[in-house]
Amino acid sequence: MLEMRAIDKRFDAVVALKGARLNSSPGEIRALLGSNGSGKSTMIKVLAGLVAPNGGLILLDGKRAAIHSGVDSRKLGIATAFQDLSLIPTMSVTENILLGNEPLRAGGFVDKKKARQTIRELLDRFHIDCDPEAYVQTLTPSTQTMLEVAKAVSLNPRMLLLDEVTAALHYDEIQVLFQILRELKAQGLAIVYVTHRMKEVFEICDTATIMRSGETVIDAPVPELTLDDIVYYMTGQRPEVAASASEMDVAQEGETVVDVRDLEVYPKVWGISLKAYKGEIVGIGGLQGQGQPEFIRALLGAEKVATGSIDFCGRKLSLKSPADAVRMEIGFVSGERGREAMFPLRTVQENITAGKVAKGNVGEYMTPKSLRAFANQAVDKYNIKIGELRDPASSLSGGNQQKLVIARWIAMNPVLLLLDDPTRGVDVHSRREIHKILRQCTDEGMTVIISSSDNEELLDISDRIYVFYEGSVSDVLSGEGKTADRLVAAMMGMGAANQKGGDQ
Amino acid sequence: MGNNIMRRWPALMPVAISVLLYAFTVIVQPSALNWTAVTSIVMLTLLLSFASAGQTLVLIGGGMDFTVGAVMSASAILTAAIMNSQDGRFLPAFGAVMVMSVAIGLLNGVCTVKIGLPPLIVTMAISNVVSRLQYILTQGSPLGYASPAFIRTVTSQLFGVVPSLTLYALVLFPLMFYILNRSRLGHQVYLVGNNPVAARLNGIGVNKVVILTYVISAVFSGFTGMLGAAYMQSAKCQMFDEYAYNSLIAVIVGGTALTGGVGTYTGTIAGALLMVVLNNTLTTPALQLTPPMRNILLGLVMVLLLILYNRGKAVRQ
Repeated sequence: MLEMRAIDKRFDAVVALKGARLNSSPGEIRALLGSNGSGKSTMIKVLAGLVAPNGGLILLDGKRAAIHSGVDSRKLGIATAFQDLSLIPTMSVTENILLGNEPLRAGGFVDKKKARQTIRELLDRFHIDCDPEAYVQTLTPSTQTMLEVAKAVSLNPRMLLLDEVTAALHYDEIQVLFQILRELKAQGLAIVYVTHRMKEVFEICDTATIMRSGETVIDAPVPELTLDDIVYYMTGQRPEVAASASEMDVAQEGETVVDVRDLEVYPKVWGISLKAYKGEIVGIGGLQGQGQPEFIRALLGAEKVATGSIDFCGRKLSLKSPADAVRMEIGFVSGERGREAMFPLRTVQENITAGKVAKGNVGEYMTPKSLRAFANQAVDKYNIKIGELRDPASSLSGGNQQKLVIARWIAMNPVLLLLDDPTRGVDVHSRREIHKILRQCTDEGMTVIISSSDNEELLDISDRIYVFYEGSVSDVLSGEGKTADRLVAAMMGMGAANQKGGDQ
Repeated sequence: MGNNIMRRWPALMPVAISVLLYAFTVIVQPSALNWTAVTSIVMLTLLLSFASAGQTLVLIGGGMDFTVGAVMSASAILTAAIMNSQDGRFLPAFGAVMVMSVAIGLLNGVCTVKIGLPPLIVTMAISNVVSRLQYILTQGSPLGYASPAFIRTVTSQLFGVVPSLTLYALVLFPLMFYILNRSRLGHQVYLVGNNPVAARLNGIGVNKVVILTYVISAVFSGFTGMLGAAYMQSAKCQMFDEYAYNSLIAVIVGGTALTGGVGTYTGTIAGALLMVVLNNTLTTPALQLTPPMRNILLGLVMVLLLILYNRGKAVRQ
């Protein structure tokens, strides 16, 4: 019924799609798979009319379809449930679902009675237990997700696109969703289902399209694929069989600096235990959104810890704010430079000294000379390319801004440095320099915990890698076991820790 | 290039405009050029720049303090009532004013931080309460006068020419310079104002810093209110209310960004000068402006200045 051929999409220099293809037929649930950045979400957005492709062809029933906007997409009978929800938080459940699709009486008035009935039927069907008049923002994330799907289904589409909707759902809700998907399939809907959960693919999908780096690698019926095949097509590498679970607790030399036990941070982190030793670089890997940022921020005191304990240098750590953490000699580098690290209006010098400025008595005299010396030293030592110290920080290139943010903390010589995806969007050269700096620091006794979305980086730099999957640790890689294949397998939830439940 | 100069010396433009305005006034009314007029401009500028010192800090930190005027008025009433024309009561009056100021500052800061409403709304509401309290506590007619000695420290002429209020500037200006440019707090305020999220993740106690800026602002307003009581000799309810607007405008005209993170105190002093000179020009008898006309013109000039400043910023980015 639907065919996308040779779709190209570039975002400036970044190629998101190159010649990608996707087919979908009535009465079929198709899994659209791929790792982060493989282009599957872009494909969905092209169909939903949110992204205009640079090239390629979309055929619907053999005829060329022009999708220029969300309205075009809807008119063609395509409905989409988005991962980052398209609901309006400050409108009620009813208003959200009927938005742009209100049942009308003569004269253009909304038929309230009919609307109420429609909504009640829809909520019953999806087993959503909520007040139709409640504001969406007051509902739990999982209920919101169910509403997002219900809204898409309520449009009576010919084709339904679901972009990672199960990420926020509970087990029973997923079962309800699958039951509805099966009904819709029987009614002849074409369904495209994007997910990271391999179990779901085998449970509900008939066919699979796997993408890698913007290209479609394979189209195949699901029964013909094994888990290993899927991982292979997604990554280009065959996963090894996960090593035995005993390897998870490799004995390490040296004193324990961080000892996290059963940490839970609502709603993303579910019982993570992690140890970091003095002078060690601990990597945190995983697909996007598996709880890495929340975990790191909990160590910094920026996220509230629900349960579990964090021991730091042998003492129990209870942080109310990042200021507490900084007082304990913990530093933090965010990869989200613009939002979480840089002060663009302030000078290069002030940006470098921000860590020094943060720590200490507010009334204290800070001599201009000492601040300048501190900044100069950091610029020289970490090879940051600047014009002058008094230029605004926004004058620096991205890579140098990131080096600056790292230098800001390293120059403070903290006991523990936390980095959350610090090299995102940083050029190769700066990245290499950042790695070198981190290695130097750990040689001098600093402990580093670094999360990264780049597997190569993790394998390169970490002594051990904790792989996060859905808020828990699916595997710990170290020494011989630190291989790309095993990392990838663990990212899919097929790690040593998940062996019992996660196999198939 | 021109922008660069403006950024490094934000005081330059308001001072230049002030000089031109004063020259214009003297041309239309030559009698405006006399020492008394200059002295009066200097004194009013000093008062406004003292009152705007804390406001500068608050705005750089990303907030806004609308209680400046109300705190000044309340402080003036307290001062006049406690001194009651008698010398030797400076310290009790000072103590009472400081307690009140710190309390209002804390209230401003804590409400802004905890309630999460825009600071403009929070401080306006609190300013209203403070104004009403003045009427309730004084039955609408405050009593007393500032003490003669205190009045002399403000209004006498040193060597017959320099207003003695300048002596206060010798203390307050360096104090403000220290807070803003040399203390850890000042550095933190700039960072918080520019990017509060990054500041927090960097380990700055953002809430504490914001609350402190409001407290410091209230303390500056309170002390300026005392000086105001001496300048006017007695106090009336709401007598300094206009300082809320005037301080805000002086700070903004002085190059401090409403969005926070950028600003200098020298700029604010220059802004205060411009405000006072502009008012002086508009009240020149030769121009024969009625009070409503004056207000309209004042408003238009302000809009013009703000447009000028915002354009400067856009070009930079």
